[in-house]
Amino acid sequence: MTLLRVEHVDKSYGDEEVLHDVSFEMQRQDVEVIVGPSGSGKSTLLRCVNRLTEIDDGAIYLDGEEIHALDENELRRRVGMVFQDFNLFAHRTARGNVTLGLRQVLGMPREEAEATADDYLERVGLADQAESYPAELSGGQQQRVGIARALAMEPELILFDEPTSALDPELIGEVLSVMRDLADEGTTMLCVTHEMGFARSAASRITFLDDGRIVERGPPETLFEDPEHERTRAFLGELAGIQ
Amino acid sequence: MTTTDVDQTAVGELPGRRRLAVGAVGVVFWAWLLARWASHNTLLDRLFTALGAPNLVQSELGVRQREPWLPAEPFQAASDGVADVAASLGPASVLLEWLAWLFDLAAFATTIGPQLAAGAFVTVYLTVLSMLLGLLLAVPLSVARVYGGPVLSRISLAYTELIRGTPLLAQLFFLYFGLPLAGFIDSFGFVGSGGVPRAAVFVAIVGFTINSSAYQSEYIRAALQSVDPGQLTAARSIGLSKLQGIRYVVLPQGLRFAIPGWTNEFVYLIKYSSLAAFITVPELFRRARNIGSDTFQFTDVYVIVALFYLALVLTTALAMGKLEQAVAIPGLGRGADRD
Ligand SMILES: Nc1ncnc2c1ncn2[C@@H]1O[C@H](COP(=O)(O)OP(=O)(O)OP(=O)(O)O)[C@@H](O)[C@H]1O
Ligand SMILES: [Mg+2]
Repeated sequence: MTLLRVEHVDKSYGDEEVLHDVSFEMQRQDVEVIVGPSGSGKSTLLRCVNRLTEIDDGAIYLDGEEIHALDENELRRRVGMVFQDFNLFAHRTARGNVTLGLRQVLGMPREEAEATADDYLERVGLADQAESYPAELSGGQQQRVGIARALAMEPELILFDEPTSALDPELIGEVLSVMRDLADEGTTMLCVTHEMGFARSAASRITFLDDGRIVERGPPETLFEDPEHERTRAFLGELAGIQ
Repeated sequence: MTTTDVDQTAVGELPGRRRLAVGAVGVVFWAWLLARWASHNTLLDRLFTALGAPNLVQSELGVRQREPWLPAEPFQAASDGVADVAASLGPASVLLEWLAWLFDLAAFATTIGPQLAAGAFVTVYLTVLSMLLGLLLAVPLSVARVYGGPVLSRISLAYTELIRGTPLLAQLFFLYFGLPLAGFIDSFGFVGSGGVPRAAVFVAIVGFTINSSAYQSEYIRAALQSVDPGQLTAARSIGLSKLQGIRYVVLPQGLRFAIPGWTNEFVYLIKYSSLAAFITVPELFRRARNIGSDTFQFTDVYVIVALFYLALVLTTALAMGKLEQAVAIPGLGRGADRD
């Protein structure tokens, strides 16, 4: 069943066209990986989906409803987001980061919210860090709290914007393993990431975005083994080479 | 936020023994001041009565409430004695003369202490009330300035610029003489009798509240702008509205960042509250001025009153430092810069 449908989306900042006629579709339980050079519009595309940025033209449907017809807070409750630099609420503990949305958006009573938060922290392997403040956590732990915070709202779709690229190499694995678990459990995920191992094993589709346009899109095997475009081969080859 | 920081830890960082000495002086001063307020203060007395504890201290101390508790005579005698010795020593006795003046000052201080204590009470509640009411205005003003969009932010900007661009004394005069505010306040029957302050005091509170709200909102604005914008983005990404994000994420961090600036404003207001003297409010400075014109000992009374202000300012700085520590969060604010 189609969960997300992006149709002919255009987006410009001033004279600079950042997204040009972008269209694609995701089914429920799909894991879509977006790759592309810096400045190609990957973050902008994600932000258009939860309306942190407004599109200029085109349409985006979530579960059949055009997202601009939805209340934006309701939309964002249904579409979670995980950030490159975590953006944990610096004044709240790990548990407090997860409970804020539960309490203020879902209106959960305090005790239920705390119990729920602890469940989600346990799911990302941080049951023992519930009382820690972000500054007391490693980058990998912070990002896992970020994932727990997004998950707790029970979104239909989670957007990941380079969730591991601010991490030291030895901390990347713990975050990817949580993401892999989510993928295995059937969470619908739209991920900007250059972790090719994850893309190869977890992605249902990979989209190569360049200069605001979708150059090529397909299952991982096709893009890695037999891409249609030379540019795709070159870019993915380079990424694989780095790793 | 850095240019205008008051060094709140100035007292806290003194070496052990001197810290103890300053602390001891402070404790004695405050014990004396609080005891004076408790023993003779119609406003507090009313409050105690309302709370079911009438005449808490007053009845015990009877008639001596208004009078000094320490006699001036021993200090005066000491001063005279030292002065005599100094006179017999001739011109080489500068130090002794100075000592005589100190004793003289102490004698004078015991005499005028009760009046100054009453003045300090007005100064303290004037300042504290104006700061708190000012904060209530400053938070929405600064939020409007940073997040309010073109219209609200300009209104907020115009307000703060108007207030900060005009002299405080002119604002007080405008409120007191220019507007029928005092008359309006007086039209409430209870004002000015039975321990309720006179209209001028209310006008002063209104004036200081407006004035300090403008300055406080500037400090808070700067603090809000130093909160990482990603914090609000993250708040919005879980479905909080912009206002909720500001309330639950930006303000708790920004207000913590604002404490040093807020302390600055608090200290300023303690001193600037002396301008209320010019609209007849019987606060610390006005009492000092009156004592001066009664006794012609202007130098002495201003030295003594300066020590009062110094004690109030140091206490505030110390208390705000404690507050900052009490609400500190690991990795947030000043501590984080040192990591
Ligand atoms: N708020 C903004 N205002 C103006 N220009 C912007 C804004 N956000 C992004 N851009 C521009 O849009 C283009 C695409 O940015 P975007 O962040 O989407 O790229 P990206 O593919 O995520 O890059 P990276 O890999 O560096 O994160 C860039 O040229 C960027 O400068
Ligand atoms: Mg990006």
